[in-house]
This record gives sequence, structure tokens and C-alpha cells, in this order.
Amino acid sequence: MTARAFFERARAGQLTAVRCGACGELAIPPKELCPACHTRAWQSMPLAGEGTIASFTVIRVAPRAHAAQAPYAIAVVKLKEGVSILGRIVDIPLDKVAVGLPVRFRPLVAQDQTSVGFGPLA
Amino acid sequence: MRRVAVIGVGVTKFGLHDRTSAELFADAAGDALSDAGISPRAVQALYYGNVVGSETEHQLHTGPQAASVLGIPSVPTTRFETACASSHAAFRHAVMEIAAGVSDVILVGGAERVLNVSTAESTEYFAYASDAVWEQPLGLTFPGVFALIARAHMEKYGTTEAQMAAVAVKNHRHGALNPKAQFQKQITIDQVLRSAYVADPLKLFDCCPFSDGGAAVVLASEEVARRHRKPVWVLASAAASDWMLLGDKRDLSRVPATERAAAAAYRQAGLGPTDVDVVELHDCFTIAEIVATEGLGLFEPGAGGRAAEKGLTSLGGEVPVNPSGGLKAKGHPIGATGAAQIAEIVTQLRGEAGPRQVDGARTGLTHTLGGNTATVLVSLFGRD
Repeated sequence: MTARAFFERARAGQLTAVRCGACGELAIPPKELCPACHTRAWQSMPLAGEGTIASFTVIRVAPRAHAAQAPYAIAVVKLKEGVSILGRIVDIPLDKVAVGLPVRFRPLVAQDQTSVGFGPLA
Repeated sequence: MRRVAVIGVGVTKFGLHDRTSAELFADAAGDALSDAGISPRAVQALYYGNVVGSETEHQLHTGPQAASVLGIPSVPTTRFETACASSHAAFRHAVMEIAAGVSDVILVGGAERVLNVSTAESTEYFAYASDAVWEQPLGLTFPGVFALIARAHMEKYGTTEAQMAAVAVKNHRHGALNPKAQFQKQITIDQVLRSAYVADPLKLFDCCPFSDGGAAVVLASEEVARRHRKPVWVLASAAASDWMLLGDKRDLSRVPATERAAAAAYRQAGLGPTDVDVVELHDCFTIAEIVATEGLGLFEPGAGGRAAEKGLTSLGGEVPVNPSGGLKAKGHPIGATGAAQIAEIVTQLRGEAGPRQVDGARTGLTHTLGGNTATVLVSLFGRD
């Protein structure tokens, strides 16, 4: 699965990983070779999009392109299926963001770019 | 394989400069060649570290440019880019080239200029060292990467913001003894804790500054080195990598590339962490120093924060870390940092570090980390 295909599905609300057809290893985002067994037998696998915050930060000094959005939270989210991915936290007050907080995938769509976001579970 | 020595070092003052990175490098390289007492004609290659020259100076092809500005245009040059570890990567390749018998004398160095652009611009350029598809669009910053590591370390081991502050205070205390340091002023725990958050839980005083500066070292084969004063021997030089993406790193409280590079370096040298007398390591953020002291085996995983608080890493402590002031106080011109750390360890092992000298230091270690912890180099040094 290409990055482009990943983000097309993400834009439609579906978070997708790849599963190795040889050894069952799960990866997100996709890689060319399976990091566990080095075969190239990936199959795409839709994820539930649910997970918990493994670590987070609140960015207060932002790069130029994001300066108007600061402060904002970024987190590594451990997904229910066991893999982790970095995402922007949205619709959760910054003082409520915490390690262990359950979150749900939310595509962040800005004109031509989709990125990975997570909002409240409920 | 042949033995390799460092026979000359040079470092500019770090901080704001009104000179190009090539000029800063050339200044340091001139000093390194004089220190080595070797003719520029003897130099057979230049390996060079520079990172954001394209962005801040609109300059590519920085290897030959640096050689030309120095005045040795005909040597083969290559620019290395492994984010903040660039000139340490350059160093390792020079060591291998001399060890293999291809060259006898190589100039290694690096330089960076970033204070000619705004903080918002440099914050953006430094973020280019994280993934452009998966991480940069989220607004991830360099402090943000280490903030995620800090939070994970705090959750897992109970590391505190006060322990991180102790690293900053210690490195400023050391920096006050280094006339080349960007900050030569002591600070207090309270000042660190009261400074503004940049990326929670990291505050302004947990972060190294943006810096301009250059550094260079002259490497030589044993045969050449024996003719020069006080050669410092390269006992090992190792590199390791790790996943680029933070989501792919299995345990954010550790830096596996540090652990792998350290293990390889100790193996090459036949030494272990208890043999090391003085360390220059990559404290781009206070938490980075804590995690590095653990990854290098100086302290158990999770014990780095308490060790810093107890003063074990201070000058006069069990294992002095960053006597130069580290990136935190000495400054962090990213392309120059690896070479500058090596210059400090060489100065320490020669016994020429003045008020910041680690008494009787015989074995030293340098550790340089690239960007999002995906690159680490570790080298070990010894004296006769």
C-alpha cells in the first residue's frame, strides 16, 4: 500500500495498516519489506481506529506553517491492534490530554492534505 | 587495520556570528592544522558536516566550498548529512579510510549558520529531520520529539522536571568554565523550572540554543601521528540507526541506536562503560542527556535522572559528562557539533582543558545523536 493510498482511505475515515501474509506482522504506516521476516507479502488491513495515548506533548513554539495553530497537542497513540502512530490531538482540552487516555482516529483534512488526527473516543 | 590518532583540533566560539558557515569552518580548520603542526599540503581529504546550509545560506555543494574557502581546493571532499550527528559521521568515515590505508591525513569538520534566520524559520528547518510525509504535516518540532521521549521516561521511571533541570544547571556550570561556550553564565534550578514551556514537559531552559559555529579535527595514521605532539588515539568509532518514525519506536523511553552504537564501540575498543573517564554526549535537550547516560551504560535504565540530581555527572563526580558545557551551554551549531565534542575530549585527554579539566582523564567517549534519534555515533579515545 502506498502512502497515497493510505491517505485516500484515511480521508474517507478509515485508518489502515498492512499485515504480512507470511508471518502476520502488522505495520503502520506501510513499509516495503516486512521488518520481522523481510518478505514482501503485505495485505492491507482496516483498523478499528481506537487506541490510547502512549506519550504526548503540547507544542507551543511551532514551525512557521503551524504557528497560527499553536498551542496544539501531538501524541503517539498505541492502537488496539498493537501498533502505534503519531497524530494530532483534536477536540480534547489541552489540560485533559494524558497518557492512557482513550482516543479515536479522526482524519484531518486541509485542502490537498490529509493527516492523522485523534479525537475523543465517545 | 591501522591505528588512527587525532593530532589537531580547532573550534570557533559558538553563538552569533557575522560569517558564513564555510568561513566558520575554515577558521576552526586553520586552528586545527596549526595545532597539529602539519602543512595543509599533507591533507589528503576533507570530510565535512553541514545540515541546513540549503535553507539558511542557499548553499549546496558545501564540501568543496568549505575546502575552497579554507584554501585547499584540490582535495577530495564529501559532505555528510545525518542531521545533528553529521560531523561525527564524517569523522567515522575518515577513521575507516585511514585505518584501511587509503589516506594518512584527513581533515574532518563541520559548521552551521542559523542565527541569520528567525526562530520560526530555524524551527521549521530543523523539523525537516523528521519525516516529511508522516510527521512534519502534524507540526512536530525537534523539541516535540524529545518532549515525547521525556513524557515516556517520566511515566516509566518517575523522572522529574527537577531532575531534567539539574542537567541544565550542571551544563551551564561547566559552560561558565569554557571561553568558547555560547552561554558562560550559571543558572539555577528555579530559573529552569520557571522558564516557559516550549513543548511540554520541556521548557526553554531544557533546550539547547540555536548556534552558529565551526569545528575541525585533523586525523592521522600512526606513522604520521608519532611525529606530532600528544596524539590522542581513536580506540573505536561506531554508528547505529533506528526507525525514523516515532510511532515505529517500540519504547520511547530508550534510544536503541545509542545502545547499539555504544555496544559496538565498547566491543571495538575492548572496553566497557566503567573504563570511561570523561564523556561529551548529545544533550540537545536535558532529557536527551539523561537517556544517553543510560544508553551508554553509565547508569541503569531509569537511573539517569537521579544520577544527574546527585551530581554524579558533574566535574568532580563519578563520571563527568559534558565538561565543555555540552550542547546546552556551549551551543549546538548542528553541523559542527560532532567535531566539537571530539575536540573537547582530545583537549581533556591531553590535559589542556584548564579549569574544566577532568583530572587524570585517560579514556574519553563522544556520543552524537541525529534528529529524531534515528542516527547515533559513539567514539572512544585514549592517550599514551
